Amino acid sequence: MKKRFASRVLTLGIAAALMLTMLTGCGVRFGFASDPDDPNEEEKTVPIDTSIDTFEYDTSLEGTSITLLNSKAEIQTALEEMGKVFEEKSGVHVEVMPVTDGDSPYTKVVSLYNSGTPPTLMILDTTDVIALAEEKGEDLSGEPWTAQAEGYLTTVNGKVYSFPLCIEGRGIIYNQKVIEDALGETFDPKTIQTQDDFVELLDRLVDAGIEKPISLAKDDWSVGAHHLQYIYETYDGTSDGAAEAIEEIKAGDLDLNKYDRMSEFLDMFDILKKYNVAKADPLGADYDEMAIDLVDGKTAFWFNGNWAWPNLQDAGAEEDEAYGFLPYFMNNDPDDFANQKIQASPSKQVMLDGQVATEEEKAAAKEFLNWIVFSEIGQQMLVKTCNIIPPFQNNPYEPSDPLSKNIYEQVHAGTTFNASAIVPNDHWSVLGAAMQKYMADRCDRKELIRDIEDYWAEQE
Amino acid sequence: MKKSTIGGNKRKLANALAMIGLIIVFIAYMFPFLMVVINSLKEKRDIIKSPFSWLFTIKGLSFDNFEKAFTQMDFLNAFKNSLIVTVSATVLVTILAAMLAYYIVRHNNAVSKLTFALMVASMIIPFQAIMIPLVSIYGGTLNILNHRLTLIFMHTGFSMAMSVFMFHGFIRGNVPIALEEAACIDGCTRSQTFFKIVLPLLKPIISTMVILNSMAFWNDFLLPSLVLTDKELLTLPLSTYSFYGTYSADYGTIMAGLLLCVIPIMILYVALQKQIIGGVVAGAVK
Amino acid sequence: MRTKHGGKEFCMFALPGLFCFLAVVIVPFIYGVYLTLTDWDGVASVKNFVGLENFGGVMRDSQFWTSLLLTFKYVVFVVVIVNVIAFAIAYLLTRGIKGQNFFRAGFFTPNLIGGIVLGYIWQFVFSRVFVSIGETTGWKLFEASWLSDPTNAFVALVVVSVWQLSGYMILIYVAGFMGLNEDVMEAASIDGATGWVKLKSIILPLMMSSITICLFLTLSRAFMVYDVNLSLTGGAPYGTTEMAAMHVYEKAFTSRQFGVGQAEALILFIIVAVISGLQVYLTKKQEVEA
Repeated sequence: MKKRFASRVLTLGIAAALMLTMLTGCGVRFGFASDPDDPNEEEKTVPIDTSIDTFEYDTSLEGTSITLLNSKAEIQTALEEMGKVFEEKSGVHVEVMPVTDGDSPYTKVVSLYNSGTPPTLMILDTTDVIALAEEKGEDLSGEPWTAQAEGYLTTVNGKVYSFPLCIEGRGIIYNQKVIEDALGETFDPKTIQTQDDFVELLDRLVDAGIEKPISLAKDDWSVGAHHLQYIYETYDGTSDGAAEAIEEIKAGDLDLNKYDRMSEFLDMFDILKKYNVAKADPLGADYDEMAIDLVDGKTAFWFNGNWAWPNLQDAGAEEDEAYGFLPYFMNNDPDDFANQKIQASPSKQVMLDGQVATEEEKAAAKEFLNWIVFSEIGQQMLVKTCNIIPPFQNNPYEPSDPLSKNIYEQVHAGTTFNASAIVPNDHWSVLGAAMQKYMADRCDRKELIRDIEDYWAEQE
Repeated sequence: MKKSTIGGNKRKLANALAMIGLIIVFIAYMFPFLMVVINSLKEKRDIIKSPFSWLFTIKGLSFDNFEKAFTQMDFLNAFKNSLIVTVSATVLVTILAAMLAYYIVRHNNAVSKLTFALMVASMIIPFQAIMIPLVSIYGGTLNILNHRLTLIFMHTGFSMAMSVFMFHGFIRGNVPIALEEAACIDGCTRSQTFFKIVLPLLKPIISTMVILNSMAFWNDFLLPSLVLTDKELLTLPLSTYSFYGTYSADYGTIMAGLLLCVIPIMILYVALQKQIIGGVVAGAVK
Repeated sequence: MRTKHGGKEFCMFALPGLFCFLAVVIVPFIYGVYLTLTDWDGVASVKNFVGLENFGGVMRDSQFWTSLLLTFKYVVFVVVIVNVIAFAIAYLLTRGIKGQNFFRAGFFTPNLIGGIVLGYIWQFVFSRVFVSIGETTGWKLFEASWLSDPTNAFVALVVVSVWQLSGYMILIYVAGFMGLNEDVMEAASIDGATGWVKLKSIILPLMMSSITICLFLTLSRAFMVYDVNLSLTGGAPYGTTEMAAMHVYEKAFTSRQFGVGQAEALILFIIVAVISGLQVYLTKKQEVEA
């Protein structure tokens, strides 16, 4: 019995191995009924025009090698691509290291510093930058690109330590076609200006046969950060205002039970909960399924950000289809900025190691950053290859996917507000748990508010 | 096992019942693997929407996931790295642990007792407690991270305690001291005695330790992820990192990648299966 | 069997292995203990000695004690279920059943997969496969994802851990049964000992050494559960399934209280050490009496 089993497994293994070598070796496509529209099949490469390049490279840096720690998994291959092109042009080698799963960017940076081999450049979240900047970061205040990123710079005690890599925006994603098909009329997102308008639209969709028109992610980063942080960000729509709100909550000056934005936020969250497609088991909702549901038209809305595009694409969405963002409606006042604008601000930041890197490495890293902002090729690659919304005013390129494009257009039309709340690193996980409890109807508003207050009371 | 003739029919019925129960439990055990195999051959959309559907019912069988996993993992290179690390560390820990255990069994002194006690106690140290000190010593102070040798050395160190424990049990119970005394009279030195007489006797427990250790090394994620960052050096489990996105996981590729990682170790296990149990019989339980 | 060249022999036989062990496990561990007495945050270049302040932080961290309590509950379930199942299966697999080698190989396979991947696979099974079965069949049991309810998610964790750990224990118990003296069993059968009596008064005492080691292994592994916890539930729903080891990791890295996290790891170690020490002492005593 054992012999037979062993030989069977062995043959199977060898057969599988042979087959794979064959497949990858000859590039023959093998599959019985693979869908020709499957987005996974061939990675589209956007052509980059490299004919014009007026960027001045510092030839003395040729042969320098720098490392870039990437915590934005979805642009890993794009960054490698970018590094390759930069090396061809400048002679500087850029090694892109990913943050492996199970590690947070911060943990990775800490362990790399401990191991004495920190990356030259590191892509981090804003909170991480603030935590590490003064101890480890290189002062970048004098860099030429700072002039192009007005309004998007993060400062620590008046100094700039980080390069804003991208703008990310979030709100309620709508699938225009689904709405129009259901209602039999054209849909203009501008007509939805208040909570009541939104509810009315939802009810009409329900009547038209879309039973539960909203997809609502249960993940703690979604409810704990992207939802809940509206209470800070809509304080007055600026980052300073968000910081002020947090200070007041910490000090106990702002009573969350009486704070308008708190109850308004929960009103909106309750609406989302009520029309949630996974209402029966909200915490069992699956992220990938939400993308599929939105594309298929089982739902019409999904609360998320422009980073969701690859997921929608995986689910079958095409670049020429119409998707866009509605604001997170806080109340019924059409003049309130929160009902007119969507939140969009720089998210990932690039920090330069100031502690271990040599002068040459620093110079090469700075050149790389300037190349991204000022060279024709860098500008193109940032937008087209990485599919990023650039925070730099001089970048003439427009992102091509509908979500990023919508954010880009709204930024330029002035219908976004740039407020990012700087919260402690465990905010999303601790309060994400509290929000999940509320989401699953395991606690009421009072208890949720108490959890939030308790959390802030524990912070120094 | 000897066939018992006492209570023939009753025994037969009991056996049949036991067999049925066993098969049910066995199917439950195999269920996740079945899911992995089926879904590794499907497209993401089908995996999400109808994970339980049998093949051919939705869009059909496709080897795309395997192909994608194979290229994205840089399979051959990662396989080579895993092989080097696993084989070297396994050989090293097997020999060193056998020697150390032999010393402990044959020398009933304070050093032996202390070492043994320390090792047993160390088996319950949570890895989290030594993770950061470990990188800060080997990286910060000694600066020897990012080498295969360092990883091999660490694997050896971490599996030493368990291995010594198993060898210790085996040697105590199965290696008669009389044999060595005879060898001693014949003029063998200590090391000759060990390599020529004792080591061959250890064959069953060696098979056991080889499979248990190589499995652990082959699959380990956390330690290699701390030690290795250079892409060229990544082992198989590390090379699948890119399938786990920030927001969602690429299930199809994950499952295909998993099967690619598991097949080699599965073959080793099936090949050594009989000796493994033999080793445990004689080692751990005495 | 003592030679005069004790020192030389020690260097040759014991030192290399001992060195690896000390250098990789013990030295970092001691350094880690030292770190609990400082305010080092994992990054800073200066470490200040703060005495027992971090342990004060542990006392104030109520989440840690909650997670520890949960871990205790989890350990009890896992240890009992794993050992009962493994013992029973091993018993069946040593009775000369057809294809028993095949079964033994099969039951061991969960061990061939690393913990993190394993958790993801099971997450997929619980949140997609079971729910999909529930949708098709209408079974109440699978109506909602197990991972979205605190009690069910805990059960899911136990199920997966049992699934993962029992293969190893089956191996050890099989070995134990095979080592049993055939004559003793035969004699017992002739004497008319059946069922319970046979199990209680003959098999169990003879299997005590296997039981000791299996209990020790399951106890320590269950206490330190991390991989599966992280990748299966990640503490969800709303942090109700966060066990001690995972909390330690979160404390050190997500909440960035490195010293407190390190101190909690130390406390966890002491608890596990005391409990498994006690267990080994108690079961060993049984062995002697038998």
